[in-house]
Amino acid sequence: MDRYAGLSRREFVKRTVAVGGVAALAACVDRAGMPALPDGTEDPSTLPERQHAWNAFLATDGHGNHRTPRHHVLLLLSYRGDGRPTDSHRETLETALTGLERAVPRGNDGLAFTIGYSPAYFGRFQSGPAAVDLPDPRALAAFEDPTPDRPDAVLHLASDHGQVALAAEAALFGERAGLNGHAVAADIAGAFDRTDRRTGFVGAGLPADNDAVSGVPDGAVPDDAPLFMGFKSGFKQNQASEDQVTIQTGPFTGGTTQHVSRIRLNLDQWYNQDSREQRVGKMFCPVHAEEGLVDGAGDNLGDSSGLGECPAHTADHARTRGLVGHSQKSARARRNDQPIILRRDFDSTDDDHAGLHFVSLQRAIEDFVETREAMNGDDVVGSSAVGRRTNNGILQYMTVRRRGNYLLPPRSLRSLPPARP
Amino acid sequence: MRRRTLLETVASGCLAGLAGCGGFRLQPANRAPPLVDDRPDAVYFPTHTEGMAMIDSVTSGGFGIGLMYSFPHRFWTTTGTRTEAVSIRSADSIHLMATVWDADSGMVLPIGAGLVLEVSREGDTVLERAPWPMISPTMGFHFGDNIALPTEGEYTVTVRVGPVSERRLGGFADRFTQGTEVSVPFEFSRRRRDDLAVRTFGDKAGSRAVPGLMEMEMLPTSRLPPGDQLPGRPVGQGTSGDARFVVRRLDTDSGPYLAVSPRTPFNRVPLPMMSLTIRHERGGTRISELPLKSAIGPDLQFHYGATVDEVASGDRLTIIVEAPPQVSRHEGYETAFLTMSPVSVTVP
Repeated sequence: MDRYAGLSRREFVKRTVAVGGVAALAACVDRAGMPALPDGTEDPSTLPERQHAWNAFLATDGHGNHRTPRHHVLLLLSYRGDGRPTDSHRETLETALTGLERAVPRGNDGLAFTIGYSPAYFGRFQSGPAAVDLPDPRALAAFEDPTPDRPDAVLHLASDHGQVALAAEAALFGERAGLNGHAVAADIAGAFDRTDRRTGFVGAGLPADNDAVSGVPDGAVPDDAPLFMGFKSGFKQNQASEDQVTIQTGPFTGGTTQHVSRIRLNLDQWYNQDSREQRVGKMFCPVHAEEGLVDGAGDNLGDSSGLGECPAHTADHARTRGLVGHSQKSARARRNDQPIILRRDFDSTDDDHAGLHFVSLQRAIEDFVETREAMNGDDVVGSSAVGRRTNNGILQYMTVRRRGNYLLPPRSLRSLPPARP
Repeated sequence: MRRRTLLETVASGCLAGLAGCGGFRLQPANRAPPLVDDRPDAVYFPTHTEGMAMIDSVTSGGFGIGLMYSFPHRFWTTTGTRTEAVSIRSADSIHLMATVWDADSGMVLPIGAGLVLEVSREGDTVLERAPWPMISPTMGFHFGDNIALPTEGEYTVTVRVGPVSERRLGGFADRFTQGTEVSVPFEFSRRRRDDLAVRTFGDKAGSRAVPGLMEMEMLPTSRLPPGDQLPGRPVGQGTSGDARFVVRRLDTDSGPYLAVSPRTPFNRVPLPMMSLTIRHERGGTRISELPLKSAIGPDLQFHYGATVDEVASGDRLTIIVEAPPQVSRHEGYETAFLTMSPVSVTVP
């Protein structure tokens, strides 16, 4: 009867996060215990106005890169009411979210979370959110055909402890009375239905421990890799700052926009057919492959992917090397010489297939679109040896299945905000 | 006779006419004979060829799409001027192939846009991948990869073709701007696969020749017209890395259009995914140096082209290969088309 028998602790925690629900939580706590955590914030009103202000609370690695929590749950939520949300539901949601903040500290060892709202949600007000351009999701490459996600809201829960993310979800939905010895005094089950539940992980060892799914050959992912593709990402110098992605005008000042895509990874060719050198060239830049700049998962790169002149030489490399790297292309999307999106993505084994939930924050969805277009490399396809997918970064190895756009309001407006507060 | 059986008979039979053959034998699916020693830096006759079975051939969105399979193959991917050998893995079941053509004319489209193949069983995805664009002495240009299927039985193969990224000329101007998706059933049977013919070539292997392209009903071949049958006026021909380059000139409203059509020797298979530059000189003085863009046209077919201000008799045109074709190669093509020196022609 034990569906978790024979699993390592890391596999086990990840598996219970994926399954979800009180039974999985109970199994997880039975096996791994509930970590002893400090209390949360006594006065949640002292927390930053930015829901996405995670960095100050996140652990860093030896190079100062912020380390995203290891376990993640994304809940797509449908508001149960018709038309505009009620004040009573607003209060319930705010009480519940504040309860989480009182229960555990923000950060890896506690809980980091955000809640965002879709264009469909703001449609209830016959108006988009004030002073924010929040478009419906659409295909962003000639060869993709994603299903648009149109829930009302999306809740992102993240913790280094899978049990904490699970317990927070259970507390929010009234399946559990509280969290970390604190009561969570309201539940949101009357306000929202969970229409989709997506889960995943990021961090050294987790992908290798959870490779028994299609889309990735068994035993191929290096033991220390934080992501299925075998390399680190989210280097500090290649991430937008939280300031950069924060909305600066209008009633949603202090908020940000969030893009969530669901990507299927197909890594049989990547690991069984490409050489290490080809993988390095395709992920970073041909120069990284030629000069052997990347050791292992790339920890030796420090706090940046070390692209140097690579982005500026994208067209030249396409012409003369017949190859362009993913980081090289994507890094061309910059403003004031800074990246414009902040990645908080994680891998997944949802539906028993290797995948990536690409969660990114940016001041405007257009910044994400610009970054994705830079990654498409359409400017070099047709005028060089690089194909739409072949030798074109990592496009050959991924399929975007779903896309969704959301507004993460500032904390003071996070609970069922009106379109024009 | 069911159609699939007929097609397989055709596929198996289509190798019978090859000249200079050695033995005929069945081989275990996951093995290939050793490569010949001293492979030339040129196209050469492979150690063996394998029959191919048609899965289906359909028309959708102006594209013809053919799906075929054979034994798992060894092949080589290309990155820059280097190739990387892909060996057959014990779990590999078949080499799955797809070809895309213009549904009206049957012209094979060696498009850089590529496609995605998804193999599913009872509604569950077994695998999904963007197969490699490839060239093969017997198959010409196609998309293919070795795939591992968990079991024999019924599958569905879905092909997603994207919009064409090459410039589309003349009658193709309004074609292929939208992709398409088709699904066809496929029954994987090891016995049926192992019934495919395998021919080995003994001493002929390694010689500077190739087997002919397989001709199959319902499946056009990617053979370009001879150079002198392309539209426009001849400018010249040359050889580089064992590829044949045909240069033609067409007069257009915006000036002379220079079309460069590189192809394999013998079978005239197009060589897409190259970076080409054309240098235009007159009396030793450089007039221009332009990148050539890949293009498809109803008559020029796949080629690389650029419009120039004017060309005069005696001008020298040099085609510089900045990156050789980044297509994967089957045995016989993996040592050719890599180190490619410039090709110069003098305008007649």
